[in-house]
Amino acid sequence: MTQEEKIAMLEDMLEKDGGSLKPEMELGSIEEYDSMAKLSLIVMMDDEFGKKLTGEQISEFKTVRDILDFMG
Amino acid sequence: MFFNGKKIVVAGASGGIGGAICEQLADEGAIVILLGRHEDKLHAQLGKLKGEGHRCFVCDLSQIETIESCVGDIISECGPIDGLVHSAGNGDVRPLKMSKYPFMLNIMNVNFFSYVEMVRCFSKRGAFNDGMSIVGVSSVAAQYGVQSRTAYSASKGAMDSAMMTMAKELGTKGIRVNNVAPGGTHTSMIDDLEYANLSEESRATAKRQYLGICEPSDIANAVLFLLSDKARKVTGIVLNVDGGKMSC
Repeated sequence: MTQEEKIAMLEDMLEKDGGSLKPEMELGSIEEYDSMAKLSLIVMMDDEFGKKLTGEQISEFKTVRDILDFMG
Repeated sequence: MFFNGKKIVVAGASGGIGGAICEQLADEGAIVILLGRHEDKLHAQLGKLKGEGHRCFVCDLSQIETIESCVGDIISECGPIDGLVHSAGNGDVRPLKMSKYPFMLNIMNVNFFSYVEMVRCFSKRGAFNDGMSIVGVSSVAAQYGVQSRTAYSASKGAMDSAMMTMAKELGTKGIRVNNVAPGGTHTSMIDDLEYANLSEESRATAKRQYLGICEPSDIANAVLFLLSDKARKVTGIVLNVDGGKMSC
């Protein structure tokens, strides 16, 4: 999966317009990145990437790139 | 002992609540028939029970079509039963946008369709003794809205609705049917819920349970009451064991 496809997946999950997310963006600046979004992220990592994501790991994500790096 | 020699099937026997139910039943002299997916976990639970004569049967409750055969095996080997507890459950949570049909169906299969199928099979002539009592473990999640629990809450709500109908229909056979609805209970299902730590709503709703979190033994106490002759005129109800959560 390309980085563009992963970003598009995140934009869809956050219900944001295509092209609105950049890897260097801080997650704290994204209004839609709330607790429900984090739950969706856990589910998506499991369903789409076969990876278990913990709450502790999520709390360490600071930027969009941190999430992209975890996706692998 | 309240259940001396009584044969009680416990589906979901290796779970936190199911395990507590099995242990209390064994303490009260019951012959416990443990049902679950994982043979090793069932036998581990079996090893904790007092008394003799308890049995384990492997059954994957997500495969509804296999339940009737499993029930047949139980009746063949153990004879008609005196009680049934459905304590099996899948507590997976997902936001609505992630709750696609395959996920919803799995939750409904394990939590609801298996419950109805077990009641259907064990309420057939020859499968039960006079005075059989059936108890399902549902949840207070059926009684109020909780984010990310569309499937779970729907399955537990379906349990409660179906229970009332089954209680009325099976009353003519002298069978009682009730549900126990736990509030927040200290089990591995809760421990595994990383999500609970993420949700502000979860933290807020936990405060509503002003008597504190329940232990599996609290739920088991209620289940045993409903199974026993002390509840001989109780049928068709949902008994909340929720530390006060739904009272405020």
